[in-house]
Amino acid sequence: MRHLKSFVSFIFPLIIMLSIFSIYLIVDKVVNNYKKSIINDYAIVVITNTPFISIDEVADIKVKNIEPLSRSKIIKGIKNNLSNSSLELLDKKLPYFYKIYLEDFPTTLKLEQIRKELNTISNIRRVETFSNDHNKVYSLLILIQDIVFILFIVVFILSLLLLSKQIKIWFFEHDERISIIQLHGGSLYYSSKPILKTIILSSIISASVVVSLLYMMIDNLNLIIQPEILSFMPAIIHLEFEALQIIILSFVIPLITFFGLLIQHKSK
Amino acid sequence: MILANNITLSYDNKKNIIENANFNIKEKEFIFISGSSGSGKSTLLKSFYGELAVKSGHLFVNKVDLSKKNYSKLLDLRKDLGIVFQDYKLIKEYTIEENIMLPLRVHNYDDSVSKTQVKKLLKHVKLSHKTGVYPDELSGGEQQRVAVARALAHNPNIIFADEPTGNLDDYSSEVIWTLLKNANEHLGITVVVVTHRIPKDLGIKYRRFNIDDGVLYETS
Repeated sequence: MRHLKSFVSFIFPLIIMLSIFSIYLIVDKVVNNYKKSIINDYAIVVITNTPFISIDEVADIKVKNIEPLSRSKIIKGIKNNLSNSSLELLDKKLPYFYKIYLEDFPTTLKLEQIRKELNTISNIRRVETFSNDHNKVYSLLILIQDIVFILFIVVFILSLLLLSKQIKIWFFEHDERISIIQLHGGSLYYSSKPILKTIILSSIISASVVVSLLYMMIDNLNLIIQPEILSFMPAIIHLEFEALQIIILSFVIPLITFFGLLIQHKSK
Repeated sequence: MILANNITLSYDNKKNIIENANFNIKEKEFIFISGSSGSGKSTLLKSFYGELAVKSGHLFVNKVDLSKKNYSKLLDLRKDLGIVFQDYKLIKEYTIEENIMLPLRVHNYDDSVSKTQVKKLLKHVKLSHKTGVYPDELSGGEQQRVAVARALAHNPNIIFADEPTGNLDDYSSEVIWTLLKNANEHLGITVVVVTHRIPKDLGIKYRRFNIDDGVLYETS
């Protein structure tokens, strides 16, 4: 019973930590998916004086594609109200229009910075960025992502404390056995193998529980997530990489804690 | 085999328990270290397997300088030692076979070799009928016999025994002395025994050291 209790004391914080981590991974995936879906719909429109645009000199802007807007289409749209001479003059005086597609969807701040940087280019006369409505949705998603990340960090720190406390208890419980084995020439690592085995078993159980829960959640997404948000989510059905990250974390964190405490124990 | 050059021993740098001791123990010798209770016999023995660091001087066991702190060398040294403790120091979660097997496992012996060796040793310590039993289920004498079997399991070149027969029944004491004597006579193992009571009819040539008021000296 005592062993079961100490085993649960180790597994429980590990499962909580991995669960929050998996939520963070899903939110991250949703946000990235949303970014990808909207990046093709939105572009920055710039107006230049000459039929040439080079923004290489602005190092911070990652451009995916620059697409010129047809001048003839613009003139066609307004030619009914103008005389031929006015149209000729307009054709000569009309500036050049380009749509700039970015590689990454920027935050509001980043977008403002891009706008300012584009304005510093002498050839560019005017810059039009995205609508405010769009930025609000995006900012909300980023906020959720940040909150989940902060939550993960807090839970990670607390879990780490609980895990290290439980490993310390195990070292204390096995102290007599460890010292006897060391008196017979066994290394501290060798004498601590039962603790290591318990940790590995805990990691396997925790990773299995969390990955199973994750897949169960994905299978029942329509029950827990609003249909509007579900539209961004088709890509998260494939979670192999996320499952792998959870499995790696479930082993790496307890093992690093174990070896850290082993070194601390050895120095004593 | 064991060379002490002006060694001084103390716990936490408090009062010296052994002061400026000099001695030389050669291969295949049988040594007794005696003295009154609290004289420092066990303390001296602890320094031989590195459980207590030497405060000053130089102590060599199997050519390993124990006055220099080297964890991996100390573990390597211990692998070649057999130690019998006054309080047995058996692992209570292990069966008696697993306890005897411990030095063999540390040496990475094959399991089948280890099992054969354990079987043989259990016969020597007259505990063949106790297989699969845990130390808590044995009497003190039986536990000490298991501890002696463990000390002999890996054929060490030195055995250190701290009061191996203190408070034991006559039968267990006899079994233990016979085993230690045979290990020395037939296997050529150096045996160092700390005791306040040297058996009269051991029938073996030995050297005896006495500790009195922190001073170690050889007696005839």
